[in-house]
Amino acid sequence: MINPSGLTAVAGIGYRQYKRGTAPLPERGVLVSAIVDACNDAGFDPALIDGFVSYGDDKNEPVRLMPDLGMKHLNWSAQVWGGGGGGVAGAFGLASAAILTGQARAVVVFRALVEGNSGRLSTAVMAHHLNDHMVSAGMVAPAQLCAMRAQRLFEHHGVPTSVCEELVRASYHHGSRNPEAVAFGHEYDAAEARTSRWIAEPFRLFDCSRENDGAGALLLVSSELARDLRKPPVTLLSVAQGAERGWGDLLENDREDLYPTAGFGAIRQRLYDQAGLTPADIDVVQLYENFSAQGVASLIDHGFCTYENVTEVVRFENLIADGGRLPVNTSGGNFAHGFVHGIGCAIEAIRVLRGETANPVAGAKTCLLAGGPGSPTVSSAIFGIG
Amino acid sequence: MAAFSYATATGPLGAEGPYWDALLDGHLKLPRCRGCGAWHWPAVWRCGECGSWDHEWVERALTGTVFSHTRTHHAFAGTEAFDRPFTTVLVSLTEVPIRLIGVLEGSEEGLRIGAEVEGRIDRTRFGTHDIPALRWRLVA
Ligand SMILES: [Zn+2]
Repeated sequence: MINPSGLTAVAGIGYRQYKRGTAPLPERGVLVSAIVDACNDAGFDPALIDGFVSYGDDKNEPVRLMPDLGMKHLNWSAQVWGGGGGGVAGAFGLASAAILTGQARAVVVFRALVEGNSGRLSTAVMAHHLNDHMVSAGMVAPAQLCAMRAQRLFEHHGVPTSVCEELVRASYHHGSRNPEAVAFGHEYDAAEARTSRWIAEPFRLFDCSRENDGAGALLLVSSELARDLRKPPVTLLSVAQGAERGWGDLLENDREDLYPTAGFGAIRQRLYDQAGLTPADIDVVQLYENFSAQGVASLIDHGFCTYENVTEVVRFENLIADGGRLPVNTSGGNFAHGFVHGIGCAIEAIRVLRGETANPVAGAKTCLLAGGPGSPTVSSAIFGIG
Repeated sequence: MAAFSYATATGPLGAEGPYWDALLDGHLKLPRCRGCGAWHWPAVWRCGECGSWDHEWVERALTGTVFSHTRTHHAFAGTEAFDRPFTTVLVSLTEVPIRLIGVLEGSEEGLRIGAEVEGRIDRTRFGTHDIPALRWRLVA
C-alpha cells in the first residue's frame, strides 16, 4: 500500500456565496461559475477536468456539468455517503484515490446549494434521520438532536457552556474582518447573543449556523502536476473518513461515552498517522460547526483539548488568528463567514495556507479541516504547504 | 417471525415492525436475540454478535432514568402536535440496556440527567398519521 500523504494537491479554488434566496443563477450555473473560478485560479483549462466528487447528497450529477465546461471525458464521479456535512473532508480522499490509481487526472471536489433548487439544507439533512420514533417525540431537526447531545456534554461531562460563546465570538471576530463574510463589519455583541431567542435548549440562535446560497469548487491534481500550475500547491497530507461501533444513527443509542462527542474518535489516529503529525503540529483549524457545542466536541475529538482542560484551550484569545495558538475558522466559519454546507471551510483551509485569507496566520504550514461533527459518517483532512 | 401491520408516517420501516404493533396493542416490547441473549436497538434482522436471525419480542416496563433532554422553542415544521416550548427526554430503560425517546409531560421540576421517569403510550399527530408515542413523567 502507498501512503497517499503529500502526493496530491489542491491547485485551484473557486467560491461563490450569496444571501439565501439571492443567487444570480440557478444552482448549476452558480456551480459552473465556481468551477471555472477554480480553474482560472490554477491556470488550468476546465475542459481537462475529468472527475468530480461531492458529499451531502449534492444534486448536481457530474455528467451534466460537461457541456458548460467543454469536457470530452468524465473518468470519475463519486460522492461520500450521508446527508450531512460529514463527508466534506472525505471527498478529498475519494478524489485523491482516483488520481493516485490513475483513474482520473484532474478531479474537482464541489458542493453547491441554492435553496430555490435544492430546498432547505436542514430539511434535506433531516430526511436522512427522520423516522417515526423521532417524530413521535417532536424531534424533527438537526438542531434538536445536537441540542440533546450538547445538554449531556454540559450537564454530565461538565463542559461549561461558556466555551461555546468563546468559539462563536472568535468566529465573528474573523468574519467581521472578512469582506466576503455575512458578518463583515459586525462585531460580536455578547449581550445580543446571550439574549437571542431559544431554538432548542441549550442552543440559542447564535449557537446555530445559518444557511447561504452558493457553491465551492477545489481542483485536486497530483502534486507533480500542481507544481506546473499557477498557484503554490497545497498538498493533501492526510484524509480519513468513517465511524466506529456504537456510533451512527442508532435512535440515540450510541455508546454512552461516544454520545456527547462529534464522532471523530473513530478516525483521529488514522488521520494523524497518515501525515506523521500530532495535534501539536497543527497551525490552524477550519472547523465545521453546525452548532456551537458540536464545534467544541470536534476540537476535543481531534485531540486539541479534553473535557478537563477545555476552558484553557477554547478561549477567544487562543482561537483568533492574531495571536492565538490554535486559530480556528479564520474566515468566520459556518457561523460568521457563511454556510454552503461546509465547503467554505475547505476553501478557507487553502486560502489560509496560501496567505490569501482575511485573517492571516503567520507562518502557517498545516491546516486541519474538520468535517461535519456528529454525522453518522465523519471525515477530516490535513492540508500543508511548502 | 412475527407478522406486523404498522405503516410508518415517515421513511421505511426497519426491523422494528413488532415494536410498533405492540405499542398499538398497549405494550412495550423489545427484541432479544434467541441465539446469544443480546438486546438490540435499533432492531436488527441479523444479530451481529452471534449471527442468529431469530429474535423474541419481550414485554418490558416503561421505567427508566433521563439520559439527556432538550426543550424545543422554535416552531419546527412537524412539531405542531405539541404546545411550545415542549421538552423531549431520552430515557435509559431500567430493565434493558436500551434508550427510548419521548415527550415529557407533567411537572418539569427536578428535570435533570439521572432523574427517574415512568412512561405511558399515547399517539402523536403528524400530518394525517397518529404515530404511537411514548410520554414520560418525572417520578416525584
Ligand atoms: Zn445473538
